[in-house]
Amino acid sequence: MSAQPNSVAALIAVRLMQLPFIVLAVYTVTFILAWSVPGNPLENPEGRRPPAEIVEAMKRQYKLDDPVAFYFDYLGKASGASYVLGVHDRAFDLGPSLKQPDWSVNEILGTGLPVSITLGLSAMLIALVIGVTAGTIGGLRPGTPADFATQLLAIAGISLPSFVIGSALLMLFAVKLGAFPVGGWGGISYIALPALTLSLPFAAYISRLVRFGMIEEMSADHIRTARAKGLPRWKVALKHALKNAFLPVLSYLGPATAVALTGSFVVEKVFAVPGVGQHFVDGVLGKDITLVMGVVLVYSTLMVVLNLAVDVLYRFVDPRLG
Amino acid sequence: MRLIAPILLLVLALAASVSLDRPLPPADFIVIERSDCYTLDPQRMSYQHELRRARVIYETLVNLRAADCAVVPGVAERWEVSPDGRVWTFHLRPDAKWSNGDPVTSNDFAYAWRRAILPDTAADYSQMFFSIQGAAEFFRTRTRLLAEYAARAKESEVPPTASDAELLWQQTTRAFEETVGIATPDAKTFIVTLEKPLAYFLDLCAFPCFAPVHRATVDQYTSIESATGRVLQRHDWTKPGRIVTNGAYMPTVWRYKRDMRLERNPHYWNRDAVVANTIECRTIENPNTGVLSFQSGGADWLTDLGPEYKTEMLAQRRAYLERFANDVDAGLARGADLDDIVGALPAPGADERRDVRGFSAFGTDFFSFNCRTKLASSGANPFHDARVRRAFALAVDKQQLIDRVTRLNERVATTLVPPGSIEGYPLVEGLGFDPARARDELKAAGYEDRDGDGVIENASGERFPTVDILYSTASPRYQNLALAMRDMWKRELRVAAECRGKDAKLYKEDLKKGNFMIARGGWYGDYGDPTTWLDLQATGNGNNDRGYSNPRLDAMLTEAAAETDPAKRLELLAACERWLFNEEMPMMPLCTYVTVYMYDPSRISGMTGHPRLEQDLSVLGRRESPQ
Repeated sequence: MSAQPNSVAALIAVRLMQLPFIVLAVYTVTFILAWSVPGNPLENPEGRRPPAEIVEAMKRQYKLDDPVAFYFDYLGKASGASYVLGVHDRAFDLGPSLKQPDWSVNEILGTGLPVSITLGLSAMLIALVIGVTAGTIGGLRPGTPADFATQLLAIAGISLPSFVIGSALLMLFAVKLGAFPVGGWGGISYIALPALTLSLPFAAYISRLVRFGMIEEMSADHIRTARAKGLPRWKVALKHALKNAFLPVLSYLGPATAVALTGSFVVEKVFAVPGVGQHFVDGVLGKDITLVMGVVLVYSTLMVVLNLAVDVLYRFVDPRLG
Repeated sequence: MRLIAPILLLVLALAASVSLDRPLPPADFIVIERSDCYTLDPQRMSYQHELRRARVIYETLVNLRAADCAVVPGVAERWEVSPDGRVWTFHLRPDAKWSNGDPVTSNDFAYAWRRAILPDTAADYSQMFFSIQGAAEFFRTRTRLLAEYAARAKESEVPPTASDAELLWQQTTRAFEETVGIATPDAKTFIVTLEKPLAYFLDLCAFPCFAPVHRATVDQYTSIESATGRVLQRHDWTKPGRIVTNGAYMPTVWRYKRDMRLERNPHYWNRDAVVANTIECRTIENPNTGVLSFQSGGADWLTDLGPEYKTEMLAQRRAYLERFANDVDAGLARGADLDDIVGALPAPGADERRDVRGFSAFGTDFFSFNCRTKLASSGANPFHDARVRRAFALAVDKQQLIDRVTRLNERVATTLVPPGSIEGYPLVEGLGFDPARARDELKAAGYEDRDGDGVIENASGERFPTVDILYSTASPRYQNLALAMRDMWKRELRVAAECRGKDAKLYKEDLKKGNFMIARGGWYGDYGDPTTWLDLQATGNGNNDRGYSNPRLDAMLTEAAAETDPAKRLELLAACERWLFNEEMPMMPLCTYVTVYMYDPSRISGMTGHPRLEQDLSVLGRRESPQ
C-alpha cells in the first residue's frame, strides 16, 4: 500500500497535459452556443444607434462576420499562441469586451476575479466549519434532538434558494441591526453576509457527509478497539473517526470550491458584490462573446487546476491512494 | 495532523486574496448609480449618468450653471460673435490646465471636435457638430474616402500597406483643415464658423461631447489600420493612471461595475468652488440592494430609486411635508430653497420621510402613432389619418393614468417640450381629454357604429382594425399603461385593441420597422432648445420612429432655423409645436418623466430642481453641521 515516490509528480504531469484538451473542448462547445444566440452585441437597445456602416466596420474589426476566423483568432490570442508566433503583441489577450469597448476582458477579470475568489474561499471555509461541526454533533448522537436540529438546518440550507436566505440575512443583520454594511465590497464586514449565504448549501451537504461518515465509523472495529482500550469517547471521535469520516468531504471540496467560485451569481446580485458572476451573466444576455469566452476559458482552467489540487491533497491526507 | 492541511491551505489562499484588495478610505460624498459608465471618452458618451460625471471630469468652453442652466464661462473666459451670428471667437483662460499641469489649448479642442466628427469614432452625437461649417460635408467625404479605400483594397491583388493608409489619413486631415470651420490662430484662441447662425450654439458648447481631450495622451492610443484605412482607437486611455482631465475632478480608481473614485484636480483653475474632496460613485444594479445600502447609511445620494419603492416613499414624504405645510409655505414665500427648508425641519416621525424627492425630468413620456401610409403587415393604416390620431389622443384621460397607473404624481403633458425648461420658450398647450370630440373626430374620419353592434365601422361596413399597441417589457410601467389605454379606447371609441409586449431588443426592432400602430416612446432632451424635441418629427430624422413626414413641418423648422431674432425664433418653434399637438398629433404625450432621488436634505446640499435636471457633482456635498 505504499505510494510510489513519483506518483504525485506523474499525476500532475498527466493532468497538465490533459488541461489544454479539456479547455479546448469547453471553448469549442461554449463558442458554438454563444455564437448561435441571436442578436448583435454592437447594438445598444436603449442607446442611440451608430450608423450601419460603422456597425459593419466594427463587425469586421472584431471578426464578428466570420465565425471560423473569430474562433481561431480568439483562440490564438487567448492561449498566447499568437504571441509566441509573433503575430500579436500580448500573451493571454482575451480581447476587448464587445459591450464595453473601454474594458478589456483581462481588466474585467482582473477586478472581478479576486472578489469572486475571496467570496468563494470564505464561503468554503465557513461551510467547512459549520458543516463539520454540525455533522459531528449529529453523527455522534444519531436520533437525538441535537441530531434532528442539525439535520433540519441542513435540509433548510440545501433547499432554500440563496436569494431568500440572502435577503433575509440582509434585512436582519444589515438593515434592522445595522451590524454589516449593504452593497459593495471592501473589507471583512462586506464579505461576511454574502459568504455566509453562499456557504449554507455547501455546509448542509458537508454536514450530511460527515454525519453519515461518523455514524459508520463509530461502529467500526478499530473504533470499538480504541474505546475498549479506555480512550474517552470524544477523543476517539475526533482523533480516529473524524479522520476517516472527513475523506468524502475532501473529495467533495474540489468541485464544491469550483462551484462556489463560479456559481456565486445570485449572491453577487443580492449583495451587489462586484464579482465575475454578474459580468458573465450580463455577457451571455448581451451576446458579449469575447467576455463570455474569456470567463469560460479562465474558469475551465481554474476548475481543472482545482480538481488537480484536491487530488494531490487527497494523496497527502490518505497515502493509501497512491 | 494531515487533515488540517486542506483547511490551512484554504485559510492561506483566502488571506492572500483579501490582502490583494485593500479598502480605500471613505470618500467625502458617495453616490449610488444603477449602472457603470460605458466610457470616459467625452466624444463617445451618450448616457445621462456618464454625461453627469463627464461634466466634472472635463470642462467645456462654457459651463451650464446647474441651478438655473445659465451659460457661464468655462475654459473660455470670454467670447464674441460676429454680427451675422456665424463666427464665434473664444478666448481661453491662461490658467486652464490639464490634471498633469499642461495648459489647455485651442488645439486640444480642435483635436477633440475632429474626433467627434470623424465617422471612425462612431460618436453617437457626431450630428450635433453638423451645425459647424463644413462638418457634415467632411463626415461624408471621410465616409466616401473610406469606402473607396475599401473598394480598392478588394480589387487589388496586394493588400494595402501602411503608407497607403497614411496617405488616406493625410488626405483626410487636409480635408478637415480646408472644409471645417474650426480655426486655432494661437494656443488660446479658438474660432468656430457655423453654417448658419445657431441660437443655442453656446448651450451646445457646454455639452460634454464638446469637451477637449489631452491630445498627447489620446494620440498614444490611436493608430491607422492599413487594411481599412480607418483610425483605430484603443480605449484604455480612459483608465485612471493614464487619463488626463481638465475638469474639477480626475478619476483615481475605476473598477468595472464596482466603483469609480473622483479626486480633486489640483490644477483646476476654479478649484475653490469645488465642494467635496473625493467622490465615490458606486454601481449597484439591483434596485433593492441600492435602497438598503442607502438606508443603512452607505451613501449620500441614490440617483435612481427602484420602481417598487417610489410610490410608497413619495407618499411618506408628502405626509411629512403636509405636517409642516405652514413652515414650508412660509419658507418658499421667503424665497428659500426647498431642501434648505425641509432640512431644517424636525426629524420625520414614523411613516414619514424626507430623504426621498421626485423631480420633473427633462424628458417626456409618450406613445407614438404609426404615421406611415401602410402598416408593416401591408394593411392600410388608419393612423395615417390625423383625425384618427387626434381621436385616440383625445380619448385618453392622462390624469387618471397618472393617479391610478404610474402613481408618481407626474405632470400631465399635452406637448413634447417640458414646460419651463427652456428660457424664453412660451407654454404651449396641446389637446386635452375630450371623449365627445374624440368620437366626432373618428366620425369625421369615416368611422362610426353604423349597425349598432357596439363596434365602429367605416362607410363600406369594415370594422376598425384591432389596434396593435406595442410596448417594451423592460418595466411594468408600459404594460400597465398599455392595458389602461386599451380599456379607455374600447370604452370611449368602441375599438378593439391588443397589447403586445416585447423585450427591449425586439421592441426596438419592431419600432424601427414600423411594425405597430401605437407604440411606447419617450425622449430626453439633449440641449436647451426646443429643436432637441421638435426635430424628432422631421422627415428622415434617425429617431423619427413614427415615420411621420410632413413638408409643412419641415418648412416650419427650416424657417425657424433661419430666423436670427432669438425671441421670434422661439415664437416660430412654439407655433410649430402648437400646430403639431393640436392638429397633427404624430405622438401622444402623456406626462413629464419624474426622476426620484434619495438623499437627506438635512445632511446634503447642492441639489437643483431646475427642469433640465442636471446635477453638478462638484457643488454637491455634506452640510457642514447637520441641521
